[in-house]
Amino acid sequence: MFYGIGSRLGMVAAAALLGACTLMGTGTATQADERLAGKKVIFVPISMGISLTEGWARRMREHAEIGGYSFDVRDAAFNTGVMSELLAKAISDKPDVLVVHNPTVQLLARQIRQAESEGIKVLQINLQSNQPSAAFVGASWERIGREIAEDIVKECGEGSGKSGKVAIIPGQLTAADSVIMNDAAFKVFEEHKEIQVVSNQASDWEPEKARQITATVLQQHPDLCAVFGHWDVHTMGAGNAVKDAGKADDVLVYSTGGGDDVACKAIEDGVQDRIWSYDADGQGRDAGTMIDLLLQGAAAADGSMLIAQSPLKIIKAGDSYDASLCWKM
Amino acid sequence: MLERVVAVATLVLVVAFALAVDGFATIGNLRVILSNSASLAILSCGMAVVVVSRGLDLSLIAQMVAGATVFGILISNGVAAPWALLVAVAAMVAVGLLNAWLIAYVEIPAMLATLASSMFMVGLLRFAILRGEFLLLLPKSDPTVAFLAGNILPGVPVSVALMAATLAACWFLLNRMSAGQVIYAMGDNFQAARLAGLPVRTTLIVVYVFGALTALVAGLVMASASGVVDFRTVTNGTLLFDVILVVVLGGIPLRGGRGGVRNIIVGVALIAVMRNGMTLMNFTTQTQDMLKGLVLLTAIVTDNYLNPRDAETDTVGDL
Repeated sequence: MFYGIGSRLGMVAAAALLGACTLMGTGTATQADERLAGKKVIFVPISMGISLTEGWARRMREHAEIGGYSFDVRDAAFNTGVMSELLAKAISDKPDVLVVHNPTVQLLARQIRQAESEGIKVLQINLQSNQPSAAFVGASWERIGREIAEDIVKECGEGSGKSGKVAIIPGQLTAADSVIMNDAAFKVFEEHKEIQVVSNQASDWEPEKARQITATVLQQHPDLCAVFGHWDVHTMGAGNAVKDAGKADDVLVYSTGGGDDVACKAIEDGVQDRIWSYDADGQGRDAGTMIDLLLQGAAAADGSMLIAQSPLKIIKAGDSYDASLCWKM
Repeated sequence: MLERVVAVATLVLVVAFALAVDGFATIGNLRVILSNSASLAILSCGMAVVVVSRGLDLSLIAQMVAGATVFGILISNGVAAPWALLVAVAAMVAVGLLNAWLIAYVEIPAMLATLASSMFMVGLLRFAILRGEFLLLLPKSDPTVAFLAGNILPGVPVSVALMAATLAACWFLLNRMSAGQVIYAMGDNFQAARLAGLPVRTTLIVVYVFGALTALVAGLVMASASGVVDFRTVTNGTLLFDVILVVVLGGIPLRGGRGGVRNIIVGVALIAVMRNGMTLMNFTTQTQDMLKGLVLLTAIVTDNYLNPRDAETDTVGDL
């Protein structure tokens, strides 16, 4: 299996961290094994069947096999009602660590609090709830939103000779990533009055909805400069609308995602131009490491959340395009 | 008649949007409205024929995704497009036959039969063929996909041409074929049609196979436009409700026996114009849903006021 330099460095760092933590405790790797063996971890994702969650689960499972603890996935299949039920069931199963992927900032907050109060450590992955818990592994959405907005200002703002018109396509208005990215982006745009957000309509994460919105906005604003889709999957639809309108060279299509090979394919096909990848494969490894640490009793000294922020990879079309930035399932 | 109320509401909205919304009354926008509503109109043709025969096809969206998946998997594995299309058509005919067999011969109510076949199809395709994946990407580099997403004549997208062709086929089936007469008779009074010796079972086969084929066409149009076959359209989307809404709003009663292509066009027009105008005004998705609900409610209440129910029109099974 091929790993990029970034992942190799990540692995070394993670191994060193794990090693250091074990050494700081009572000593040997065997003792760490004893602390991990037989423990129970349950993962409740928004849905399996997408590269993001499949990539995470693969790496977490690897860690579970090495540590000798059980790792169980409860697939909510994009159904938030089912997700709450699955989480309630998972809490009643009394795992040692519960890994939760929040569809919105509010939906699972009460259950996360309940789990923590029952002594279950909750690791939130990539999408954070309003409710803090033992740990968070994931991207800094504030940073992604800000960086993309700054790039848009550079490409479409003063001195670029472009209209400054931007269409934003969030996933859902209450999803953590959409909320935080929009806040960060609008903060940047407010300082640059030449940037005009002509559309800010959620796609419910669906490519076809994103396509219809983009097609409509494009004919109202033929001089649109950039589209900022909050997820690369639904932005496929937006990118295709831009391409079908013959504007692939004029409109920059931005998105964010887990950075698997589909993202690189989208760039190669000219459907999207710039993708801020939080590297789901690396996040899976981070999550696996975090679970190992939590099972060994790791906690922040002041009781606050342990946080592992994902490094970002920026996949760009053009001369600097580098297919090795993407990972393969 | 609900159809007239809805047609008037659509006209009022068109005038209001044209006056108030920048960029609404343009040829470019008309093209966007048409191409964005193509898949909805095509699906509504299938659903309308089923509903007129006093049925309901809850598997229509699953069929749409299934057809597009079969086609997409084949072309991405290097099968020539005509063969891929042929296999997809055969698969959809088989699905239509299965639905019709369950309803006409096993005599399971249409709603239950199609609900079950919908679940079966999604499960089978997701786990046996896509191996758990939710999405299948269709590359625009493929000439068939590029053709379906492109223009057939300058300014006329292929999707719009397919919508017109499907509407024409629907009109032909309902008005010019003997099966059409039987469909209306079945919708009017199924037992009477059966006792009169009309071939109700074979006609149900025609109805559900026609529905399946419209689903395939809609699936190809939608998938090639957005470049993705998305299974969440079935599991989470509201498209099925939109399709039923178009049919009911256009004035085809769910108890069947009435309605035609004109009703479909009226229903689709209202939804398409509303969606387009609100997108141009940059309304949030939630606001759009709310306003859509409000307009529908107003249309139905107005219809109730203008055409009060009486003993003759208040039939069992009507909405």
